[in-house]
Amino acid sequence: MRKLAFVSLLLLTFIITGCSGNASGTQEYPKKNIEFVAPASPGGGWDLTARSLEKVLTDEKLVKENINVVNKPGGGGEVGWKYLKSKDAHTLAVNSSLVLTNNLLGQSELTHKQFTPIATLATEWQALAVPADSKFKSATEFMEAIKKDPSKIKIGVGPGLGNDDHLSIVQAASEYDINPSKLNFLVYQGGGDVVTALLGGHVDAVTTSLSEVKDQHLAGKLRILAVSSDKPVEGLEDVPTWKEEGIDLVFPHWRGIMGPPDMTEAEIAYWDKKLSKMVETEQWKKVLENNDWEGFYKNSEETKKFMKEQHDLYQRLVQESGLVK
Amino acid sequence: MDISSFLDGLSIAVQPINILWIIVGGFLGTIVGMLPGLGPATAVAVLIPVTFGMNPVSAIILMAAIYYGAMYGGSRSSILLNTPGDGSAIAATFDGYPMAKKGQAGEALAISAVASFIGGLIAVVGFIFLAEPLANFALKFGPAEYFLLMLLTLSAIVALSIGKMVKGFLAMMVGLALSTVGIDTQTGVYRFTMDIPHLSEGIDFLIVIIGVYAIGEVLYNFLNIDKQKKEKKKVGKVWFTKEQWKRSKWPILRSGPLGFIIGVLPGAGGSIASMISYTSEKQISKRTEEFGEGAVEGLAAPESSNNAASVGAMIPLLTMGIPGSGTTAVMLGALIMLGLRPGPLLFEQQPETAWALINSMFIGNLALVIINIALVGLLVKILDTPAKVLYPIIVLLAFIGTYTLSYSVIDFFLLLIFGLFGLMMKVMDIPIAPLVLALIVGTDMEQNFRMAVLSSNGSLGVFFSSGVSIGLVILTVLSLCYPLIVKLAKRKKNMSEDEDQVYKSS
Repeated sequence: MRKLAFVSLLLLTFIITGCSGNASGTQEYPKKNIEFVAPASPGGGWDLTARSLEKVLTDEKLVKENINVVNKPGGGGEVGWKYLKSKDAHTLAVNSSLVLTNNLLGQSELTHKQFTPIATLATEWQALAVPADSKFKSATEFMEAIKKDPSKIKIGVGPGLGNDDHLSIVQAASEYDINPSKLNFLVYQGGGDVVTALLGGHVDAVTTSLSEVKDQHLAGKLRILAVSSDKPVEGLEDVPTWKEEGIDLVFPHWRGIMGPPDMTEAEIAYWDKKLSKMVETEQWKKVLENNDWEGFYKNSEETKKFMKEQHDLYQRLVQESGLVK
Repeated sequence: MDISSFLDGLSIAVQPINILWIIVGGFLGTIVGMLPGLGPATAVAVLIPVTFGMNPVSAIILMAAIYYGAMYGGSRSSILLNTPGDGSAIAATFDGYPMAKKGQAGEALAISAVASFIGGLIAVVGFIFLAEPLANFALKFGPAEYFLLMLLTLSAIVALSIGKMVKGFLAMMVGLALSTVGIDTQTGVYRFTMDIPHLSEGIDFLIVIIGVYAIGEVLYNFLNIDKQKKEKKKVGKVWFTKEQWKRSKWPILRSGPLGFIIGVLPGAGGSIASMISYTSEKQISKRTEEFGEGAVEGLAAPESSNNAASVGAMIPLLTMGIPGSGTTAVMLGALIMLGLRPGPLLFEQQPETAWALINSMFIGNLALVIINIALVGLLVKILDTPAKVLYPIIVLLAFIGTYTLSYSVIDFFLLLIFGLFGLMMKVMDIPIAPLVLALIVGTDMEQNFRMAVLSSNGSLGVFFSSGVSIGLVILTVLSLCYPLIVKLAKRKKNMSEDEDQVYKSS
């Protein structure tokens, strides 16, 4: 027991001296270890984004300071972002459109304006898929059938209404002059459950991330009717975009990173420099490839503008969907 | 099955480095499975940064070994301390703990390791021959079928609490009520979250397990800590008797395939599998009255079942890219990071990877049964540990385990609340398992019911519309009525015997 106490004391001393060593001096930002907040449990999409960022930035020696990933799951990002709000510029958090929709759906007091936009990093695209033996051969046929009787067609979505999977179809319906609040959704617990439901024929169509259905489409187990990208996706040239189907819609499911309120211009410039270099590295490109993501880099200035546009779009979609009166 | 891919896979699995990962993973899994709150999902998640530098095949082998290793470990604390490490180890408390109390801790630990081993082997063989048809069978499960499967589980729980049916039912209702906390998936409405964002994802059933079992047990023992005698407890032998084996043999062989099939269904998992195995064994047993008092087959059956379920859960992951449980979901995320995408194309494009994993499960189960039997002698020493040392350690582990679930101190308050709740239930002699199991299946059960009714435009006929659903309805009715039928049959037999006697005596 005494030995254990001695070892812990020794460790404590190391930690204390280690910390003071980093914090001393008046060097420029960053002055100490950097923290990336993944507002989700380990293993989820946000966690993997944060850990990939940490790994590429460290391996490519772009950031010399230690980077730690911390998980703050809960409330669809709420817990993690609240935590970010209380920290200084050495803490950044991963985000996605939930940072906009949580507030628009009345689930959170936090708005995107309370944070400092740093960058938009990558995007996935949304897909509309039907069973392989479905009578719908194209997205227009599908929309036409919904127009006739929206209650007849069950659309699977997960894990909750108001997410990108849901809102991308809301936008498509609205462009096709269908009242989106009339659509008939079945809400599953997650993306995987949605695909199982489709394969088992328990729903007529699903809206989900492209990566959830890409392999199934290639294996001929289901059919993707349309993707939300601006141009056909590599490896899926047979699948048309919504635009090619005559519906004016490009819907990215983006991921980015943001900082606490009131970061200085120098601090923002630091990340613009580092992240613009990082997205050019081979290792980052490999990360994108493995995850079926597409490079979607926007620097802090562009991201600020992008967030404003996205906010206005989501505001309209959430209202049209009938989720908020 | 393709023999050459099978052999390719075998040759990858027996590479020394992969055997090392199997043993490391199995050992780690056993340890985290034993500790309350630290489950395989946490262990796999914590290892994600480590797997970054690894060969993807070794990574999946390691993660799978942790997963089924935890199934072996989960029951250790159920047997020794009456505190299950995970939902799928709850059924092991029913007879495992009474066995330990009777002085058969060693036998209980040994038989559960062997039962897990056999269940695992049955499932791996099933995997090799039946992966494809079973994956297709699982797709037949729509919302209606899932609802009925969960209803069957709950009816099994109620049927279990014979003698205290009302108390068991009460505990189940509390569990169902607790499961409604959080965002309602169908509508996005926040229910009973009291404006605490942390509660929006509901109450994690693991916190409730740790609270009512571990903390509750400690508090309960604290009440009568001075009354405990200082005598050395009997721990039994480290191997089971021939008689015990004879009683367990068939329950183990029956529960393996059952657990395997339930494991294949995405979302169902080990908790439901072990529960259904336990109840069905209890109902067909000739020694029903011994169940709950330390019947060896009551421990062996769920142990075989939950390990088979963990192998079955790999089928939807590998053949469809769909995670069937919390742990496989974390595994899927980690594998995608490594550039390995499980799904319908895996067996076509990288058959050697898939077969290497399947073969590693063979080796893994063999390694685990050896590890676990070797640990029996060490583990029974826990029972010799004085209460004043053991209980503080359990409390410490409970708090650590709770913190790793979502890194939040709010969970500590929940843990304490449920600890007191568990104490209250123990004092009032209310069974705990119905509460926890109802909480585990409650959310899915409700959502699936509503989805089923939504998709049939409000008609309840959807619950009788397929062969699977009708079968489940019949099973549910049977499991509820079986005890009554048995009673009636006995009474009739007694009556006719009485008549015989009357006849003879006259």
